[in-house]
Amino acid sequence: MAGTTVNGLRLTILVGEGDRWRHRPMYTEIVHRAHAAGLAGASVLRGVEGFGTHSRIHTDRLLSLAEELPMMVVIVDAEERVRGFLPSLAELGLEGLVMLDPVEVVR
Amino acid sequence: MTVLLVALGAAVGAPLRYLVDRAVQARHDAVFPWGTLTVNVAGSFVLGLLTGGALAGAVPGSVTALLGTGFCGALTTYSTFGYETLKLVESGAFGQAFANVAVSVATGVAAAAAGYALAQPSFG
Amino acid sequence: MRRQWDVLAVISAGGVLGALARHAVSRAVPASPTGFPWGIFAVNATGCLLIGVLMALVAHVWPGRRLLRPFLGTGVLGGYTTFSAYTVDIVRLADAGAVAVAAAYLVGTLLVALPAVYGGMVVTRWLVRR
Repeated sequence: MAGTTVNGLRLTILVGEGDRWRHRPMYTEIVHRAHAAGLAGASVLRGVEGFGTHSRIHTDRLLSLAEELPMMVVIVDAEERVRGFLPSLAELGLEGLVMLDPVEVVR
Repeated sequence: MTVLLVALGAAVGAPLRYLVDRAVQARHDAVFPWGTLTVNVAGSFVLGLLTGGALAGAVPGSVTALLGTGFCGALTTYSTFGYETLKLVESGAFGQAFANVAVSVATGVAAAAAGYALAQPSFG
Repeated sequence: MRRQWDVLAVISAGGVLGALARHAVSRAVPASPTGFPWGIFAVNATGCLLIGVLMALVAHVWPGRRLLRPFLGTGVLGGYTTFSAYTVDIVRLADAGAVAVAAAYLVGTLLVALPAVYGGMVVTRWLVRR
């Protein structure tokens, strides 16, 4: 790799597919808030299987268990900008994991 | 009238399929679709009983509409059976996909035949 | 059991709609004692095609609609298609001496309905991504 790297912070949020914030999907609300906060970017990825705090397996392989599939929101930006976004996230009362880890972004 | 009985049977059969599926699947590691197999085999047995009984003249049409067309029809499913088989194929579990089809059809037909045979002497 | 009752309610309502549609088809195409059960064959084949279409749409077009999969997938299509009429018709046909028809029905439904799930899913994914 010839490119230089800059330090940043990655924010990863796991939500259920059906989680709602005022009648819109939770992940959509997170992306809108991140966009409004002027963060560098946000991506939402669909999961196909998993389990959470209730220990119930969710999987799209079985129709009756295909509820509440996991969705992952990934946001990467400079540390102070990501940390500045956390109060806005806290208002949402998220039940799933919210994780921060330091990353190097290749330019 | 028949339409109402079919609707009533289905109103119970469809959510019961969901509850049985989840209860059965909670006891297994969610790889093989045991839940759908269970409802399909159980429903085949009950419909076999009703059909055998109807041929023997012991089950009236209203009971067939309520419990047969409505309840057993909605309790059992071909679309979920097909979907879950396809998901096994997509994940590369060809052996399990084949086993699901073979076991579902073999035990389903056997259960239907058992119910059908059982109903005729007992009703007739 | 959080949020369980609304899921059961939509499955029940969907199951009623699906079962009534199946009932209408089997009234329109009545089964004869030794004839091929075309009515239920058509129900199971179209129901399988539609679950393929539905699951692709839920995944790629309508993610995050919590009650959609229970209502349309578990409820409507689950209530519309049936496994018990399939197995009992095989037994009934064989008992009436129409063993070849029973065998053709057993294999024919598998050969049409299972690929129909795949076809519905693949064609829908392709259309969605255009």
